[in-house]
Amino acid sequence: MAKRNHSRLSILTRSVGTPLLLSALLVAFALLAWAVGSRPFNQTVIDIFVQVMLVTGLYIFVGNSGIISFGHAAFACLGGYVVAWTTIKPVMKKSAMSGLPDWLMAMEIPYWAAAASGAVWAGFWALLFGAVLMRLSGIAASIATFAMLAMINAIYSNWASVTAATSSVVGIPILRSVWPYLAGAIIAVLVAWLHSISRHGLTLRAARDEPTAAAASGVDIPRARLIAFVISGAVMGMAGALYAHSIGVVTPNTFYLGMTFITLSMLVVGGMGSLSGAVIGVLILSSLIQILRWLEAGVQIGSSTFALPGGVQEIGLGVVMILILMFRPAGIMGNRELTLPWPRARAGQEKAPDATGVET
Amino acid sequence: MKRLMTALAATTCLAGPVLADDERIVVGFATAETGFMQGYDKPAQDAAMIRIKEINEAGGLLGKQIEVVNADTKTDMAEGAKAGLSVVDAGADLVVVSCDYDFGAPAALAAESSGLISFFLCAESVKAGIQGVGPNSFSASVLAAVQGATMADWAYQEKGARSFYRLLDTWTEYNKGICDGFDWMLPQLADAKLVGEDTFLNEDASIAAQISRIKALPEEPDAIMLCSMMPGFVSAVKQIRAAGINSMILNGSGADGSYWMSAVPDLSNFYVPAQGSVYGDDPNPEVNAFNTKYEAATGAPPATQYTYPGYIMIDVWAKAVERAGTTETAAVVAELEKMKDEPTLFGPRTFTSDLHHQNKAEYRIIGTEKGKPAVIGSWTIAEPIPLDALMK
Repeated sequence: MAKRNHSRLSILTRSVGTPLLLSALLVAFALLAWAVGSRPFNQTVIDIFVQVMLVTGLYIFVGNSGIISFGHAAFACLGGYVVAWTTIKPVMKKSAMSGLPDWLMAMEIPYWAAAASGAVWAGFWALLFGAVLMRLSGIAASIATFAMLAMINAIYSNWASVTAATSSVVGIPILRSVWPYLAGAIIAVLVAWLHSISRHGLTLRAARDEPTAAAASGVDIPRARLIAFVISGAVMGMAGALYAHSIGVVTPNTFYLGMTFITLSMLVVGGMGSLSGAVIGVLILSSLIQILRWLEAGVQIGSSTFALPGGVQEIGLGVVMILILMFRPAGIMGNRELTLPWPRARAGQEKAPDATGVET
Repeated sequence: MKRLMTALAATTCLAGPVLADDERIVVGFATAETGFMQGYDKPAQDAAMIRIKEINEAGGLLGKQIEVVNADTKTDMAEGAKAGLSVVDAGADLVVVSCDYDFGAPAALAAESSGLISFFLCAESVKAGIQGVGPNSFSASVLAAVQGATMADWAYQEKGARSFYRLLDTWTEYNKGICDGFDWMLPQLADAKLVGEDTFLNEDASIAAQISRIKALPEEPDAIMLCSMMPGFVSAVKQIRAAGINSMILNGSGADGSYWMSAVPDLSNFYVPAQGSVYGDDPNPEVNAFNTKYEAATGAPPATQYTYPGYIMIDVWAKAVERAGTTETAAVVAELEKMKDEPTLFGPRTFTSDLHHQNKAEYRIIGTEKGKPAVIGSWTIAEPIPLDALMK
């Protein structure tokens, strides 16, 4: 028992640098937004934080289990509509979504409570779907998650009295301050890190790398996957909720194929097997998109304006993604994590044989 | 590398925004310059630019030249919110947003929260205004319901249609809006009756089931009210005609334009309401003059009537600013709300404190015979459509 506690502590100290460094990076972005003081730039940083939450949520399941999920945007959809149900003024809700039960119709809660409810709601559905889906493996599991996305999208696009069908639901209070989103992104990173160093995270990664050996060692693979699925669903739910607060409008189609593929590609480019990869993938690709957009809009250099033709952003992004994957097929970070140099070196000296750990 | 990128990002951004002040009059376009909405936004925006140029050449607004700033929404809602904030920060006094309510709303909400006037270029949902954005938001077009009501009324009065069939494509709010207006008008027409109704989805490849139900009626209906839009409605029209049903087909303005007609050769008995004719035969010579001007400015004549609302938008806003003597939001909104049957190039316009949209408007009826569309008349419904019929 004492030995086990000791080893857990050492994982903690060895890997705590990762969430600290990533949070510091996020804080730096937030401070930059605050220092620049321009509202469009502020909104851009908010957008980046929402993406960080989405991709981190996706990483918790995909990175640790090795199963590509095409369905996680559905959890963001669930979270986004919880915000619509709980934060819009009752008068406006009545005309848009007349079929809501009375208690929900009268409800008007603050954004953090709505985001928490969104996480719980999405986590609950992840548990229900996961109980079935997590028994599948490989491509069958991936396609089943896609079927789940299509199903939830179809329900939310057609249940007019509860979700207003395909119409935009408006009236969600818009949060234009960067801090709640920073908090959300840091929470997502911390949750992902805590899960990955917990026994559930470790067993899941063991099952990813050597399913037969893991099962032989007594790992209940469907259970380990289910736990990751529920946690990642909840993080996606929170991300969807904060996304809704960032633009003030939700429609089912914002949480569909577009979101699925952009979040997956950010994760793959960053490095699927690494939390740092998830966060850094978003930060680099989002910054790149932003820079290309500025160049498209035109930049004043001396007395002449330099501008790229419209649409170059999408092409440029594609080219950069191909280049990154050409030279780093496992993504920018591969399977490595950002760590503080000193605790890692010390841990390495002390406990060389116990090298399995976060550094998968 | 990362640090370099963020440093670059920071400097570009610092250089960008200019503080708002009262010395300039700025119109900010937070519209789609790329993506599929560009096809709708660009023509209306070009028309708006024509009006801005006219005003500037005539000495400007309140003695100042109107300046223009742009931000691309990329046909994306999250980018739309950013584009809205960009033009607000660039000092816009009027924020112009995308044609479609869904894609325009995030930018309009950004303008609303900054206390600025927003105008949807050509949205036709009642939500594009007070109801879905707030008290400073307007739409430059006419409600979809007016189109349905106009077509029903015109077909009854002018064409003697008595039996109507209602075919709704449930894909968009716009489609439902057309049929809502039709539903409101029909009971007011003595001895007009609805002999059947059906729905389909825009993406349906075949509407054979719906067509066989029309064929099963004891008599072919006088008119089919087709509440649909691009691209599905072309296939619906084609299938209806291929099945030998020759009833007149009534549409919303979404069917305006001849660019799709090669898909249904020799189409006849087909009617569309339009705010002005793009075929050079408008009864109002000024509309035809505008078409020529538009062609000179952009290299091609307008493809559909959705070009015109952009011109109307700048026209009514500039008049309101002139009358208020300022670009200050509350004063301009008050002047806009005083407009009752304000004459414009494309018919009178009215705004009230309840509705920043047109619930009654003069429409040209464009009839197509043997594949040739032409103006065959004008029609205005007698009564404006009440709010409760619009909000259902």
